[in-house]
Amino acid sequence: MNINIKSLFSSAVVISTIAITITTNANTEGAHNWNEPSVTVYSSRKEHLIKPLFEAFTKDTGIKVKYLTGKGGALIERLKLEGTDTQADMFMTVDAGNLWYAGSQGLFQKVKTTALSKNIPEHLKDPDGLWTGLSVRARTIVYNTERVKSSDLSTYADLASPKWEGRLCLRTSKKIYTKSLVASLIYHHGEDKTGDIISGWVNNLAATPNAKDSHVMNAILSGQCDVGLVNTYYYGRLLAKKPNAPLKLFWANQDTTGVHVNISGAGVTKHAKNTKGATQLLEWLSSAKAQAIYGALNKEYPANQSVASDEVVSAWGAFKQDKMNLSQAGILQATAVKLMQKKGYR
Amino acid sequence: MQKCASTKFWISVLALLVALPIFVVAFSWLLPESELWAHFSENLLPDLIRSTAILLVGVGLGVTFLGTILAYLVVMVEFPGRKWLEWALFLPFAIPAYVLAFVYLGVFDYSGYAQVWMREALGLPGFDIRAGSWAIILTFILVFYPYVYMMARASFKRQKINMIEAGKLLGASPFKIFFKISLPLARPAVAAGLLVTLMETLADFGVVGLFNYDTFTTAIYSAWGDYRSIEVAAQLASLLVLVAFFLIYFEKKARGQAKYYSTSVNDTKPYQASGIKAWMITLFVFGVFMLSFAMPMLQLLIWGWESIVEEWSTKYFDLISSTAILTFSAVAITLVVATVLALPNHCKQNSTWLKSIIRLATLGYALPGSVMAVGLLYGINQISALNLYFGGESLNHFIFGSIALLLFAYVSRFMAIAYSSIEASAQQIKPVLTQSARLLGASRLRLISRIYLPILTPGILAGGLLVAVDVMKELPATYLLRPFGWDTLAIQVYELSAEGLFERAAVPALIMVLFGSVLMLIFQLLDKKSFK
Repeated sequence: MNINIKSLFSSAVVISTIAITITTNANTEGAHNWNEPSVTVYSSRKEHLIKPLFEAFTKDTGIKVKYLTGKGGALIERLKLEGTDTQADMFMTVDAGNLWYAGSQGLFQKVKTTALSKNIPEHLKDPDGLWTGLSVRARTIVYNTERVKSSDLSTYADLASPKWEGRLCLRTSKKIYTKSLVASLIYHHGEDKTGDIISGWVNNLAATPNAKDSHVMNAILSGQCDVGLVNTYYYGRLLAKKPNAPLKLFWANQDTTGVHVNISGAGVTKHAKNTKGATQLLEWLSSAKAQAIYGALNKEYPANQSVASDEVVSAWGAFKQDKMNLSQAGILQATAVKLMQKKGYR
Repeated sequence: MQKCASTKFWISVLALLVALPIFVVAFSWLLPESELWAHFSENLLPDLIRSTAILLVGVGLGVTFLGTILAYLVVMVEFPGRKWLEWALFLPFAIPAYVLAFVYLGVFDYSGYAQVWMREALGLPGFDIRAGSWAIILTFILVFYPYVYMMARASFKRQKINMIEAGKLLGASPFKIFFKISLPLARPAVAAGLLVTLMETLADFGVVGLFNYDTFTTAIYSAWGDYRSIEVAAQLASLLVLVAFFLIYFEKKARGQAKYYSTSVNDTKPYQASGIKAWMITLFVFGVFMLSFAMPMLQLLIWGWESIVEEWSTKYFDLISSTAILTFSAVAITLVVATVLALPNHCKQNSTWLKSIIRLATLGYALPGSVMAVGLLYGINQISALNLYFGGESLNHFIFGSIALLLFAYVSRFMAIAYSSIEASAQQIKPVLTQSARLLGASRLRLISRIYLPILTPGILAGGLLVAVDVMKELPATYLLRPFGWDTLAIQVYELSAEGLFERAAVPALIMVLFGSVLMLIFQLLDKKSFK
């Protein structure tokens, strides 16, 4: 090998040092340019779902939005550790449990404005005004229309009954949506009864719990099982691809507590450098205009009840929502996980 | 002696710095949390330990068997297609494990084409591919066999052909020669490849997540994500490090002179397979290549084709440049540090302390990426607190979200790969070489630049390429630590696949595999050159 090793080596070091210096500086420069109005958001919502919203906000207000996406739990740890040094003005995530936890860790400041109280109903907000739901995601029963009659379906708890043995597909208990659903069951039924429901579910499983809601629906379509639980927007996506799939949503618990809903939401961070801008963004996100974009992007339900759902979504019919205040999903989440782990729900 | 003290000091500082995340994780034991431990040990741990053990044993046996056989066939036997299959077998390296897993689930799950076809055309009953452990073990074997293949192949290449010819003359069957001569000689190399595989398997979260297979990492994530206890998560992670420590210890015993790279060549094949036998071998080797690379690639291409219009945008230029800059910088730093640690040095040779502290610096590979990342944040926070206590300033603002921190995580995590590759080359530097250079009056600097580095080059380049592929694929640490605007291809793959949008995720995945393949091809070219 005839390359001059020494020079190869040193040039590699020099180049990378330069690259690091340039890029690190570029990064800090951006972060410290206070003159340019901008809001910095940490988000566990995926980039393709939030970028169009932020762009529209910038167009309306001239305020730029910078964002960093990541996993909810990891971003919360990062926010905690960053403390007063954080660059984040707003933290945006999915699942009420995550929002509640971020609130309980003192990461949010109270924001109560007339616009927010007008736009978003109480059960989708933190009682103390730490966080606000921005979109509603309903988790309900999905079934194969060729093998199940809708009259056989009723509640989440009913899926534990022996008639569904070997016919049920569920998503993994590790997913936050499962945890919040079980937290709501504990809230309504108590721990013992919920434990029995989980045991029944596990007993009825036709296959190892799936990693994704889309896998659950594919399993139902291919005949591995007949019923399952999904967030409705996943159903929307599947239908967009396979309009004729023999698959239908069933609104659970309509005679009792209502369909379990969860939210994606946000709050202004405790140590925000631009509280005003972040509050403005939060209010804007709850406005009719943003809510319509929100709903259309991911086929979710608007949190702002005055805004009509996307056309595709409204075709699935109206339903009664569970009005449990969603902070309960956070308070009961650890109990829910413990229960699922005890009952062997993977 | 004076000189040794300062060498010892600086190498220790460097090694300890690389090992920082390990220490943070180990120190977690100072913060006991018993209630959660009771729940874990009662409800989770027995099953998790069993399933982790099954996974390790299955994957270990599988990669050892497959990697060794394949390496032996391409080095020792002439069969149709051998030449291109020999390098093609490296390519699966370029596919991230979680990508292979989602492709496999897409194809072989109950609702995948393969099972649908089996049920509808052949009338066979369907089955749950994620039940039990066999499917996930097979997936891991197909992604990780190249580690063993690469090491074993280099070792077989170095084996003197006359030994095998002698065996043949004495009438030993090919099998006997394989088991009595070739295999024992290759054992250290196989052990080294196996070690890397087992550490990867131990730290994996992507594949086990997609299969919903519970391992030890499941408990780590549960402690952290469900019970918000960084302490218990770190305590559990430290157990992984302990396992890795034992693995390294046993590997060290088995290892001896294993290398990624060799210098002497053996290009004549002792065995010429012919007729049906030869084609059976081709079919077998080709089959492995099909399953581990060609088929997944084809699936990704189909998905990518379906979604390219929807997914492609100019932001891909940013994704690619971020990935490239991070990869290049991380590789450069890792190589410099690994070379310094691996350089032969009489102070090191006589110091158990230095040897063990360097070993410690290579343990980061066993830590799941996100555990390492949180460990780092936590550690730096503690240092900041200390600094504040003594009247200084908090460092968090300066360090969190900086490229430096992310690069630090990469260096710490992938040190093992670079170090073992370079160290293998370093073992060719005989003490007599150093002594004669010294006698001729060479300074240490001259000794390093004129003698050590040329000998180490193959190991450095090989290590660099492997680290590059690993950094490019890395997800959890990048996800947690990256600064604003530093999204990589791996992050794009994750964000899309986490939403179940596998078709769109195929686009960034393909770009990643393409770059990885180019790196593996460069590796091949260097490899050929070094064997000449």
